[in-house]
Amino acid sequence: MTVREGFEREKKITRRRFLKILSNMGLVGTATALSGCSSEEIGGQGWLPEQYNVAGAWPTQVRGRVPIDPASPSVVRNDEKCVLCGQCLEVCQNIQSVFGYYELPVINDFVCVNCGQCILWCPTSSITEKHDTKKVKEALADPNKIVVAQTAPATRVGLGEEFALPAGTWVQGQQVAALRQLGFDKVFDTVFAADLTIMEEGTELIQRLTGKSNAPLPQLTSCCPGWIKFCEYYYPDLIPNLSSAKSPQQMFGAMVKTYYAKANHIDPKKIFSVSIMPCTAKKFEAQRPEFNSAGEYWKNENIRDVDAVLTTRELANLIKKAGIDLTQLPEEDYDPMLGEGSGAGLIFGNTGGVMEAAIRTAYFFLTGKESPKSVFNLKAVRGLNGVKEAEVNIPDWGVLRIAVVHGLKDARTVMEAIRRGTAPYDFVEIMACPGGCISGGGQPRTAVPPSDEVRRKRIASIYAKDTSYMVRESHENREVLALYENFLEHPLSHISHKLLHTQYTSRAEMLKAKEMV
Amino acid sequence: MSKAVLVDVTKCVGCGGCTVACKMWNDLEFDKSMPSHSENPKLTSKNWTTVTYQKVNKGGKQVWRFVKEQCLHCEDPACASVCFSKAIKKTPQGPVVYYPNLCVGCRYCMVACPFDIPKYQWEKVLPSITKCQMCVTKIKKGEAPACTSVCPTNALTFGDRDKLLAFAKKKIENGDKYIKHIYGEKEAGGTNWFYISDVSFKELGFPTNIPKEPLPHYTHEYLKLTPTVFIGGGALFTALSIYTRRRNEIAKEKEGK
Repeated sequence: MTVREGFEREKKITRRRFLKILSNMGLVGTATALSGCSSEEIGGQGWLPEQYNVAGAWPTQVRGRVPIDPASPSVVRNDEKCVLCGQCLEVCQNIQSVFGYYELPVINDFVCVNCGQCILWCPTSSITEKHDTKKVKEALADPNKIVVAQTAPATRVGLGEEFALPAGTWVQGQQVAALRQLGFDKVFDTVFAADLTIMEEGTELIQRLTGKSNAPLPQLTSCCPGWIKFCEYYYPDLIPNLSSAKSPQQMFGAMVKTYYAKANHIDPKKIFSVSIMPCTAKKFEAQRPEFNSAGEYWKNENIRDVDAVLTTRELANLIKKAGIDLTQLPEEDYDPMLGEGSGAGLIFGNTGGVMEAAIRTAYFFLTGKESPKSVFNLKAVRGLNGVKEAEVNIPDWGVLRIAVVHGLKDARTVMEAIRRGTAPYDFVEIMACPGGCISGGGQPRTAVPPSDEVRRKRIASIYAKDTSYMVRESHENREVLALYENFLEHPLSHISHKLLHTQYTSRAEMLKAKEMV
Repeated sequence: MSKAVLVDVTKCVGCGGCTVACKMWNDLEFDKSMPSHSENPKLTSKNWTTVTYQKVNKGGKQVWRFVKEQCLHCEDPACASVCFSKAIKKTPQGPVVYYPNLCVGCRYCMVACPFDIPKYQWEKVLPSITKCQMCVTKIKKGEAPACTSVCPTNALTFGDRDKLLAFAKKKIENGDKYIKHIYGEKEAGGTNWFYISDVSFKELGFPTNIPKEPLPHYTHEYLKLTPTVFIGGGALFTALSIYTRRRNEIAKEKEGK
């Protein structure tokens, strides 16, 4: 067919079609409209995931989505991106055992532990953290504010993945450099505060073990805010078992606005304290009303211990928007006074880490002797098994029975045993997220849903660094020792009780937990 | 057989998945200024269903309750009865369906609806009425409506109206969890969506002054006389006209004599 032929043919068809359209509009159209018998199919023809296109009302395995509190400080959802795939529900119910574990009707809460695992599972990024970058940017732009950062142990093995580095790449120094380039006045390490936590929590454990304290055994760790909220919801009767020690983030927040401000003659009102966390529950924790110890110390209720929490992803976003290539940055060191961290504090970032760190120091506290090599590589509490149990033999003292749990469904198993009185443990570490903080709700979405392969790489990176550290025990952290010498006196002192310890609130009124069978 | 959906208010957790499913299936736009589930959502031409988060009083305590709203698909719908262009029709399967190509835009249905459901596309040049179609295309295939199919807690149940009603009755009669009222069983002569709840429907913001009688019945009593008046009146006046004309003719004839 030549061009001309084609042109003519098109012209012909056009004329015909025109008549056709006209006739349709005129006769048939009017007739159908008047008679009311249009043949047009009415009703939606959109798309829904296959599981919803079933005849009748058959149950499906994955259905719907999780409820999200519009006022949640941790997670938000953009309905436009939600495809109702049901993945959030899958993780919330089957891995975290939160959704579906309370009776309906609801009482007065959108039951949520703020762990943010749904963010990691959401295939369309419909669910994200509630962004706090604006708050931080405003503080950075304010010349009257001294903006300090603390970086959690786990972010340094995750942040690189946002810049196309292999999973688990160690970018501690680059992260510090990036924060300085973004305008942070001081960059400190949450690992320092983790060491401080071990001093307090370890001492507390020893008091419980030796009967100097009435608090019950087993002692449960308290550094994971997701787990804390879970315990307050579902196991309020076991709150006395929780260590009263605050989490490292909150200990740091309290220290930077008291000890650090005092020593450096800084007005604590001017300090804006930002924490970089692998976690969305930390956003919730930071705004818990009781966490204003610095405010109480200075008698100014406007002072909060932590002013803003950014997830690893939010930090990556800030860095990218500033046009900084993380991979090309030099490695820089943390600022002194609150910047030194031991290997023990570092391994807080993965499951089993808090336990191992605590054992290293508890061994020393109980025996007065250097911990043996076996305690520096506590294989039994490492790895990704849901519930890890071990017995540590401490000479001249006895056997310490411990358990490590990650993922809240596994926590439920252990908590039920504790409630029944059949758990033989002295000390239990619980982390809400599977794998611990390295796979927290604020970490890069390197695999969706998160994979054990990525978790293992991040964990391996942390343990490798721990092995290479000179200081691998919290009680050998010189800056922590200096803090006790110059400010806190000793673990569990009056002032450390005021600044580093807390109380928990039962949330039993907010839900009716289902009976466990 | 007529299909229906039962809404158990006590089981809703407020996830809003139903409102998203509605938009996906019906290709409705999202409007950030008009969220479909929140503390104050609005039914609009883009939100055919909403979920309202409400703090209500139960036994002296403030509790969250979540109320899904959409067309209730009356058994004898007022909107269809007022629609002179037959753009709204009650189908035998239950849904009250709107045909936009027949609509002339008079908006009588909006005035007629006791639940304030039909919404007008004010933002369009050639607007239509919009409302929940109860996923008539899905129901024809034997599937549950989109919103109902995605509900994670079974707060929405789809089934035959008679069976669902019997199921709901059994539920509210067992124990004291529910108040003894099925909203939609009798309201406006019965609807194809009904609700059961543990707090009063008044407190949940439902219109409670809806008559039990189907609304079209009220006007039917005298409007049914329309054809009689039309034809009878016509016949009467024609007869009168013929009579007067004839009389005039006779009068003229007499004069002419």
